[in-house]
Amino acid sequence: MSAETGIGAAVKRREDLRFITGRGTYTDDLNVPGQTYGVFLRSPYARAKINAIDAADALQVDGALAVFTGQDAAVDGLGDLPCGWLVKSKDGSDMVSAPHPPLAVSQVNYVGEPYGLVVAESLAAAREAAELVAADFEELTPVVAAAEAAKASPIHEGLEANLAYDWELGDEAATDAALAAAAHVTRLDLTNNRLIPNAIEPRAALATFDPTSGEYELRTTSQNPHLERLVLSAFVQIAPEHKLRVVAPDVGGGFGSKIFVYAEETVVTWAAAKVGRPIKWTAERSESFLADAHARDHVTHAELGLDEAGRFTALKVRTTANLGAYLSLFGSSVPTFLYGTLLAGQYKTPNIHVQTHGVYTNTTPVDAYRGAGRPEATFVVERIVEAAARETGRDPAELRRLNMIEPGDFPYETPVALVYDTGNYQASLDRALQLVDYGGFKQRRAASEAEGKRRGIGFSCYIEACGLAPSQLAIQLGAGVGLYESGEIRINPTGSVTVFTGSHSHGQGHETTFAQVVSDKLGVPFDDVEVVHGDTGRVEFGLGTYGSRSLAVGGSALISAADKIIAKGTRIAAHMMQAEPDNVAFEEGAFISGNQRLTLQEVAFASYVPADYPPDLEPGLSEKAFYDPENFTYPAGAHIAEVEVDEATGVVQLVNFVAVDDFGHVINPMIVDGQVHGGLAQGAGQALLEHGIYDADGQLTTGSYMDYCMPRADDVPDFTVDTTVTPCTHNPLGAKGCGEAGAIGSPAAIINAVTDAVGTEDIAMPATPEQVWRKLHGL
Amino acid sequence: MNLTLTVNGVEHSLDVPANTLLTDLLRTQLRLTGTHVGCDTSQCGACTVHLDGRSVKACTVLAAQAGGRTVTTIEGIGSPDDLHPMQAAFRDCHALQCGFCTPGMILRAIELVEDGGALDNRTVREGLEGNICRCTGYHNIVKAVLAASDTMQEQSQ
Amino acid sequence: MSKRGEGVEQSGEHRIPAKRSAVWRSLNDPAVLARCIDGCQSLERLGEDAFTATVRAKVGPVRATFQVALKLTDMRPPESYVLHADVKGAGAGFGKGSAEVTLAETEDGTTLLRYSVAGRVGGKLAQIGSRLIDSTARKMADDFFSAFHQALDPAANRQQSANPP
Repeated sequence: MSAETGIGAAVKRREDLRFITGRGTYTDDLNVPGQTYGVFLRSPYARAKINAIDAADALQVDGALAVFTGQDAAVDGLGDLPCGWLVKSKDGSDMVSAPHPPLAVSQVNYVGEPYGLVVAESLAAAREAAELVAADFEELTPVVAAAEAAKASPIHEGLEANLAYDWELGDEAATDAALAAAAHVTRLDLTNNRLIPNAIEPRAALATFDPTSGEYELRTTSQNPHLERLVLSAFVQIAPEHKLRVVAPDVGGGFGSKIFVYAEETVVTWAAAKVGRPIKWTAERSESFLADAHARDHVTHAELGLDEAGRFTALKVRTTANLGAYLSLFGSSVPTFLYGTLLAGQYKTPNIHVQTHGVYTNTTPVDAYRGAGRPEATFVVERIVEAAARETGRDPAELRRLNMIEPGDFPYETPVALVYDTGNYQASLDRALQLVDYGGFKQRRAASEAEGKRRGIGFSCYIEACGLAPSQLAIQLGAGVGLYESGEIRINPTGSVTVFTGSHSHGQGHETTFAQVVSDKLGVPFDDVEVVHGDTGRVEFGLGTYGSRSLAVGGSALISAADKIIAKGTRIAAHMMQAEPDNVAFEEGAFISGNQRLTLQEVAFASYVPADYPPDLEPGLSEKAFYDPENFTYPAGAHIAEVEVDEATGVVQLVNFVAVDDFGHVINPMIVDGQVHGGLAQGAGQALLEHGIYDADGQLTTGSYMDYCMPRADDVPDFTVDTTVTPCTHNPLGAKGCGEAGAIGSPAAIINAVTDAVGTEDIAMPATPEQVWRKLHGL
Repeated sequence: MNLTLTVNGVEHSLDVPANTLLTDLLRTQLRLTGTHVGCDTSQCGACTVHLDGRSVKACTVLAAQAGGRTVTTIEGIGSPDDLHPMQAAFRDCHALQCGFCTPGMILRAIELVEDGGALDNRTVREGLEGNICRCTGYHNIVKAVLAASDTMQEQSQ
Repeated sequence: MSKRGEGVEQSGEHRIPAKRSAVWRSLNDPAVLARCIDGCQSLERLGEDAFTATVRAKVGPVRATFQVALKLTDMRPPESYVLHADVKGAGAGFGKGSAEVTLAETEDGTTLLRYSVAGRVGGKLAQIGSRLIDSTARKMADDFFSAFHQALDPAANRQQSANPP
């Protein structure tokens, strides 16, 4: 296909035209006749009993229509919000799940937890009425710090402890033995700071109900509308799937935070039928800070054993993961299967054991955010490897190279349950060292010192497992759903192509990339391919976009569907050309037999106007496929950060960042580079700026952009990005997934650079000027 | 209260409550939904529009303050068939992903260029400090602004 | 987790140009208090040692109507008492605190009022207003005492009655 629009071409995005002209359609941009407005009542306490809720005054407000409480929802039989991944403790017992009603009924367990919904004719009236709802709370002592949660008295009535699970992976005895025998053991205590995702579009929902048909329609900010529908139907039991349509229109960023099925869209959908009017709810940013799932928040102790030659012999990791007050949809899987399994990193460490305590606290639930478990794993591995290099006087790049899995070792089975299919970690590292001019670092350091600044360099050779996920493996590990993806290709009668995908784009550019894939595969013009996504009413099924799975899984489903189109088209073309199907080849959009040639367009037309047509074949040229990957994909790469630290102020400036990533085959390099840039900025945010802080009362004190420090344009440098390629061995595109790598690799690289500059063993993220200054002055 | 203002070249006379914010007037009354609201503390810049040619965060401007003045939103600076050079540069440089911050970012960037100061990587980054983007890491936004700056200067000569 | 934002702690003193007994009386007079609390929409005495009030206030970007329950303990007329406040603002969150107030007679016949407040806030007040809570509390106290000062200053009183607002 055309070199300008096919696989590998930096095609400009077709979705951009609507976004740059203000014609995007985000959920809050939508309005429907008869629409009312919802405002949620949220707990100001981290933990409190609800004694009574009095809405009498609120209902007197002009325009107020209804106030719903958790009691109302319970009476109506509205189900709890489920956790979709069952993790088992090492003793074989199921994780301990706290019931999670969409609206709190008798007790609130984190600041911001919704306990009621006010519906009114206007937003102003809803807000005014909400102020007049008198709730009588009895404050209880909260548990806030994860490290102390397991020992503290249980926050949930009926649960014996705050420990949701005590999970492990790997061989503990062998790991302990190897550590005991090691020539050197590096020990490190690490904190992975709590983050708040902060997609710039706040979450929103617009729900309608048609009493004549019993049909609900929910338009909402979702990364996976079909999963949303599945949960709302099967678990919350609002309506069966055929009576519930979920549409995710243009969505302004997700980063994981819009995967989950939240209380708000659940309650608004249910309430739309109760009031008999459409209800719209849009979060204010203050609500987003409290009510969007938070991320990371690990406390970890790690030990790495090395032999005399510097080879890693064992890695032992003990992590306490803060899960928040309830188990969010995938919250249980993040610090376990998406974390422990990645602790081999790029290295041949023969013995690994990880134990994760998942604990409840009176804080916002914690779930997946860009990288989800893999940034935490990379942070542990790459921080302790760097520390080991410093302790044993080895060059950090060379220590890594010494221990790397080599190209000839694949497929490589790690001691923590994964089989890496392919990679060339040395190639990424070599390229990154070249791009950063490692040899010139000493000179650059001297130049910085001449200006009163300390310069540091830090590495992070990460690996991740993405393209979630082989369904059977995922289900075996506790997932409640399969993790395949669906795709459908309709060749319209005149040959244009409509593509339906269960993936969802909220910034990733599927409308462009997927069109490139299909246009390339079927040899039809790029402009003749339209991509439809994000609507359960139009797309059969899908599992959505997260875990860098869209192209590797969703794109592969389209390849499978295209193969079916070609197979059927071949039979039609063979009939028309009076040839044997085996003698018909499909090349560049045409079926060829000897010197006869029929274009896909001609064959499509024949399939819809079947005059000259195989008698045993159905008319039409439309095929769908479900693609279930046989393994994860394993993007990997080398990230190198250089920082300058101002001795007088402690300010860290990220002055250079090189990322060389192996994503396998790349469909659109422009988009891939953009994904990496964004991930790197989020990683830089985690390392240097962002921190979700609760005070001892469980109040979120970084609850606005005045206190939660988002990376801004002048906080980050231009990034130097490049790719190396080892194609994924098990999907038809050879693609691995690029959405999360930047956020996975970069925090460790940056903190390694900061600690190098400052000359300290560790510095907690975010490395704020105050912290750095204290370290510089030995405080 | 009665209010007359010009939005994207069209004069509007409206009756609005005195506490109406300019964002609400634009989004709700005029259905100009290209102006987005990303926060409630005037920090994110998604709501940036031009008021008499200067960029303002419309979430902290009362509609009444725009009375008798000229407002330009993202819908008013170019159309799909006739893009403003800044819009074109954003597309050409892949300076947007989810698109939510984009309208505000473009309007602030246009002002930055029109202010006429010498622009380089550092000054563009400092100039965009009031607009948050979570997707792009700013790398391509900076490239787009510098590219558009060249085009806009050529066009004005 | 950090220890940041754990609460409000503040103390201060004001010289009030009135006799201690008069100051004590006024501090227990709902009408005077209502006049001196900025944004006070109502203030009622519930009993010997308790008041309830409705106050419209603004802490940074958080503006709301607060229901305030006041309780007086450790009463040692006319020298000292402890004032406990329980403030609720629905969507705006809550505040809880207590103030130790002492009144000392001075040689020039005026009264030196000392107070020390300890409290904490929650909900939106903590989330968005926490960095502003200290300065807001300081300003509210200053505004209160300046109004209280005026309410008890005989000269100011005469002026006020001559020029009703």
